[in-house]
Amino acid sequence: MKKYSTHIIITVRVNGVPYRDRVPVHLTLLQFLRERLFLTGTKEGCDIGECGACTIIMDGKAVASCLILACEADGADIRTIEGEAKGGELTELQKAFIDYGAIQCGFCTPGMIMSAQNLLDMNPNPSREEIVEAIAGNLCRCTGYEPIIQAVEAVAHKRRRR
Amino acid sequence: MIHSCAYTKPTNLEDAVSALHEENARVLAGGTDLLADMRGGIKKTDLVVDIKGIENLNVLSVDSDRGASIGAAVTLNALIESKKLKERYPVLPDAAFTIATYQLRNRATMVGNICNASPAADMAPPLYILGAKVLIAGRNGERSVPIDTFITGVKETILDKGEIVTRVEIPPLSKNSKMVFLKKQRIKGHDLATINIAGLADRGSQQLKICIGACAETPLLLEKTDELYREEKDIEKLAERIFELSLQSISPIDDIRSSAEYRRNMVRIYVNRVLQEICL
Repeated sequence: MKKYSTHIIITVRVNGVPYRDRVPVHLTLLQFLRERLFLTGTKEGCDIGECGACTIIMDGKAVASCLILACEADGADIRTIEGEAKGGELTELQKAFIDYGAIQCGFCTPGMIMSAQNLLDMNPNPSREEIVEAIAGNLCRCTGYEPIIQAVEAVAHKRRRR
Repeated sequence: MIHSCAYTKPTNLEDAVSALHEENARVLAGGTDLLADMRGGIKKTDLVVDIKGIENLNVLSVDSDRGASIGAAVTLNALIESKKLKERYPVLPDAAFTIATYQLRNRATMVGNICNASPAADMAPPLYILGAKVLIAGRNGERSVPIDTFITGVKETILDKGEIVTRVEIPPLSKNSKMVFLKKQRIKGHDLATINIAGLADRGSQQLKICIGACAETPLLLEKTDELYREEKDIEKLAERIFELSLQSISPIDDIRSSAEYRRNMVRIYVNRVLQEICL
């Protein structure tokens, strides 16, 4: 097994900032973000891809960062919750989450925002059904989902009116 | 917590096959099963062989004359988003859509689903009814095996050490064939199948294929369905005869998702539903 390494040097862009690090193969992308880059906005819930708390956007696609090895992300462009608000200004979606009471304990919120934002980026005018499908992988035990769906719908409606 | 292991991302099949000959080497495509297994300590893994760097494995092609070819790194969402696949082989995107969640389908692959070889694998029944062939690369070159001999048992396949599935090929179909995939699950949304089933009917060639999943150690392609299809024109009666036929081969178990008895009853109902969709 000598010719295969247990540590890999990776280069990734996270929220526009390039990073280079030597990571052990068994480090997940979630652990890399939280423990190496100290970007703790992305949450660890179930750690088996069931809850969606660790959702990030990797090369334009929402993914569960707990089921990806950090070394697989070499060369990737990653967006996490920390990169959403710019200069202290929340995104439309984040504002809508506040307006509609789509946040209670807040643990699912970063993953929920990333899933919903990924949907809106690809489909600016999603149906209610499409919204439900896009966030079906994000568990929330507080809100009952309805305020979250309303918040995403509100952003879509606003865009439609423009 | 995943244990320490090594990683390689070969750019060609030869290097991948060579790496897979190492002890406890595992293929990494989407990783949605592998990482969960590694974390649970279910599969001892010393070397992860990431196949996403190999050329052509991410190719999905659909051609009306030659059929379809789906590479080992093609994700479930790529299947769902392919308009041509939806047009020609709608059971594939339909089945893919019932698997896991959007985030996971952005990583999970169809080939990974069949290599994991769960009796409840949702991509298996569609591939069985379509007569898919699995292309396998190894040290002695490439071989091709029918999907129903590829999966050999619970989480077991025909793959030898060092072998890797490169793609799945699906033969061209008559334009008149009708197909459907149905899945019984406990909740709306993300759940494994209590049972799953796929059916394909072609009046022209008098063919009827039915495959039932999660009711035996492997998915089961029912035999003699062509004969019954030719003999029995009444759908209700045909459904009953096919259900009786299926009882000879299914062997459902009691588990967390359902009792064996419930599964048998669901087979009766779902065979009927499938025929209602494809035999009209």
